[in-house]
Amino acid sequence: MLVTLVLWLNTISNSIAQILLAPVAWLPGWLSASLIASVTGIVMLFVFKQTSNQSALKRTRNQIKANLIALSLFKEELRVCLRVQLTLLAQAGRLLALSAVPILVMAVPMCLSLAQLSLWYQARPLACGEQAIVTVHLKPTNNEVLPEIELTPTSAVDVTMGPVRVPASNMICWKIEAISRGLHDLTFEWGEQIFTKELAISNSFLPVSRERPSSNPSSMLKYPRERPFAADSPVQSIQIEYPDRVSWTSGTKSWMAYWFFTSLIAAFVARPLLKVDF
Amino acid sequence: MTIHTVDQLIDNMSLAYIGPGAGFALAGTFLAVFGAIFSALTMFLFWPIRRLMRLILKRHPPRKPRFKRVVILGLDGLDHSLTTRLLDEGKLPNLAALRSQGSFHSLGSTLPPISPVAWSTFQTGVNPGKHNIFDFLSPDEKTYQPKLSSVEILSAARRRSVWPFNMTIKRPEIRMLRKSQPFWSILSKYGIFNCIIRVPITFPPEKLHGVQLSAMCVPDLRGTQGTFSQYTTRPKVGNQKTGGDVHYVQQTGNVIVGHLVGPPHPTHTDQGHLKQHFTVTFDDRDQATLAIDGAKFKLIPGEYTDWISVKFRAGWNLSIQGVCRFLLLSTQPIFDLYVTPINIDPEYPAMAIGYPPVYPIYLAKRQGPYATLGLAEDTWGLNEEVLNDEHFLQQCTDIDQERELMFFDSLDKVPTGLCVCVFDGTDRMQHMFWRYLDKEHPARPLHIPATFETAIEDLYVRMDELVGRTMAKCHDKDNVLMVLSDHGFNTFRRGIDLNRWLEENGFLVVNEELRDKDYLAGIDWTKTKAFAIGLTGIFINLRGKFSQGIVEPGIEADTIRDQIASQLGQLIDPQSGSQAIKRVYQATKVYRGPYKENAPDLIVGYASGYRVSWDAAVGRSSQQIFHDNRKAWSGDHCVDPSVVPGVLFCNHEILTESSRLLDIAPTILDLFGCPIPEYMDGKVLSVGSRQTGELIPKDDLVLAGGGVQ
Repeated sequence: MLVTLVLWLNTISNSIAQILLAPVAWLPGWLSASLIASVTGIVMLFVFKQTSNQSALKRTRNQIKANLIALSLFKEELRVCLRVQLTLLAQAGRLLALSAVPILVMAVPMCLSLAQLSLWYQARPLACGEQAIVTVHLKPTNNEVLPEIELTPTSAVDVTMGPVRVPASNMICWKIEAISRGLHDLTFEWGEQIFTKELAISNSFLPVSRERPSSNPSSMLKYPRERPFAADSPVQSIQIEYPDRVSWTSGTKSWMAYWFFTSLIAAFVARPLLKVDF
Repeated sequence: MTIHTVDQLIDNMSLAYIGPGAGFALAGTFLAVFGAIFSALTMFLFWPIRRLMRLILKRHPPRKPRFKRVVILGLDGLDHSLTTRLLDEGKLPNLAALRSQGSFHSLGSTLPPISPVAWSTFQTGVNPGKHNIFDFLSPDEKTYQPKLSSVEILSAARRRSVWPFNMTIKRPEIRMLRKSQPFWSILSKYGIFNCIIRVPITFPPEKLHGVQLSAMCVPDLRGTQGTFSQYTTRPKVGNQKTGGDVHYVQQTGNVIVGHLVGPPHPTHTDQGHLKQHFTVTFDDRDQATLAIDGAKFKLIPGEYTDWISVKFRAGWNLSIQGVCRFLLLSTQPIFDLYVTPINIDPEYPAMAIGYPPVYPIYLAKRQGPYATLGLAEDTWGLNEEVLNDEHFLQQCTDIDQERELMFFDSLDKVPTGLCVCVFDGTDRMQHMFWRYLDKEHPARPLHIPATFETAIEDLYVRMDELVGRTMAKCHDKDNVLMVLSDHGFNTFRRGIDLNRWLEENGFLVVNEELRDKDYLAGIDWTKTKAFAIGLTGIFINLRGKFSQGIVEPGIEADTIRDQIASQLGQLIDPQSGSQAIKRVYQATKVYRGPYKENAPDLIVGYASGYRVSWDAAVGRSSQQIFHDNRKAWSGDHCVDPSVVPGVLFCNHEILTESSRLLDIAPTILDLFGCPIPEYMDGKVLSVGSRQTGELIPKDDLVLAGGGVQ
């Protein structure tokens, strides 16, 4: 049930992202990262306004401010200050409770958005001539010998090493080398059965699916681009170790932090215009 | 960074971050929690040190304070005779309980018995000759134009505009004209905490140990003492409304466009006043929507909106904020909209209206916007028949509710020290509704709505309930609760045009063509020896004092004073045949102190039922001396002080026979063990113990009513 739901959500988010995030492919990384963060910040702020009890939030926030001022105005009275502090704690709890509804409403879209953004910024595609490790995770069985799965070289990719079988971890690894640019499919064959995994080769931006996941809702949310393997499939997941993208705005190590702060700043700037209390 | 670590990061951060709004809310929550814990720890750590420092460094009262807390509840204008009658009729059970716990006395007011003078005496413990407040208004010695007697605005705020920035070069310079010092300043010197809420003549706010919210003379955003606005589709008529502006608007389709008039432009004075546009759109026959400053509000006929924040922009980075309430009076066939004077927004005050400046902000954050205007209840709106009785009553009770919230918060926050709060709605409502109490009043309507038949009594009963709620909060034995008024009240049936009397008796000459002009503009100063303006007295046109003075100080002036005092004292109302004036007082004889020269030369003590006429109050001279008062403003207290004593209730016995407002300041100082300065004119009232045998259990107090619990 949950798997179907996530699958359904991923299908929708992939379709929307395909349109909305298309400009990322041709915009400079810093610009697309800034634009996306700003727009999502403002959209989230708007959603927050619509889903929260604004007047109650404003009242509570004002009460908190009043109590903080009271601490300085009436500081001579220890008992009064303690009472004010207790009230302050209660109001902080109330503020948290008032934020619960928007948090719940926004949690799912936010996870889906971050997963879509991670396709673009979490890693960069392989450059031509660059090598990467491909790992196939198999379903644990009682057999001590791993199945004879083959990765066929194509005109886009060459297999330079492998397969290396690790029975203890139920995985088989290959080293591949990128040959021509574009989004390609790696094809794995085991007897009659064929398993595929998307491979991105480019010198610029392409959506990079680092893993084709198993039918696990959490993995599916993290890696939304490819359809998950069925629960009874002998292959559970296939990973490609892409290189890191180096940039402080749209690079592997910092894109999310940059996105957080830019969206916060955008929301902060838009707050008086949208008249939002938080 | 490995893929594994990044995945974890995505997991953690996406769970923690759910959008900027909620993110800020969460951050705010944690900040508040950390703030509370941090401040609690800091307080615990430093409290003993602070306490020790206070013990060592601060001045302490030479005697041990007799009580931990003194609470003074001021009910402006609560009349002694009426209170006594209602007490006897059993209609004021809480005040009766207070009387049985302690005492009830009449409280001698000041000469003249009007609020600015009386509350100045209350707070300073001196006669007007020492505190310099003799009336609401006094004539300017150069121009004869009336000016506020308690506040002088020496310079407006100076701002320099270097596009796109606007900088405040100099803050507005506002000077308090009340001299001497309030007794809470003395208490402050001895480290006693004070909470002073809306005591008249506390603007501009003065430094004290504690908190203070200013009252009388706090202007509206336009700088006036309260200018209401009326927007109407009625045909234009010539006459101006006193205390308000009428804007003639046109209806286009179902929309009416208007603008609020705000403060003068702070940087480009030639551009006049700042404005804020608004539209009123009729939704159906009985409702409309007000759109102002990007927000929308429902307008329902006869119902006030809440306080609406209005921003007047003078540049992209400079705005002045006010608050006002809208009241849709009618939609069809005539559109009529009333807007209260635009009060200084307490949350973003354009000038200091309290001490410390953050105190009004604290109150606004705590309880929402509130009326900050000195005379907050719009008596002119009712007097000019823009508002009706219900509207005015609603305004008064709303303001009382706001005040009660502030007052009860102070009672919760100040367990030790002095709490003073003045409710002035009592004064305003008695001014406007006395015609329902006085069956002989010329302004009494033929048919009185049932709600207003007992309007004044109902007011006293409401105040009694407030007293009950206050008593419940001052139940401890070491709390002194005083309920007092600055003066009483009386009917105002007939107005006496002092200028006309002076004219008929040869002391004043009027230029006939300018007779209708306000503010003494019609007076021929070359021939005028005495004139009247304001509510209380007569000024001699002294040479050397006034720019066009013709009377020599000394013998000539004394002779004129004597003549006027004796002749005016004999004035008989031809309609009733009774004496209209009890006594005429000479300032030089009744006041003591360095400022008595600033007083009107003669203070008129009117007999019951009389007061200065509306014309004379604004410096006009009409065609006759006596006028029936047909205005809603039907009760007054600008009479001889003996006619309108105030009240003094205390939950402790007061043994002194006769109490005066003048005595309150030294009495409070004495209760806190502080020395009484020699300059004070009042005497310490002997405050005994509480009648413990008759201590009313908290639960037995009558706490009914819509007050704030």
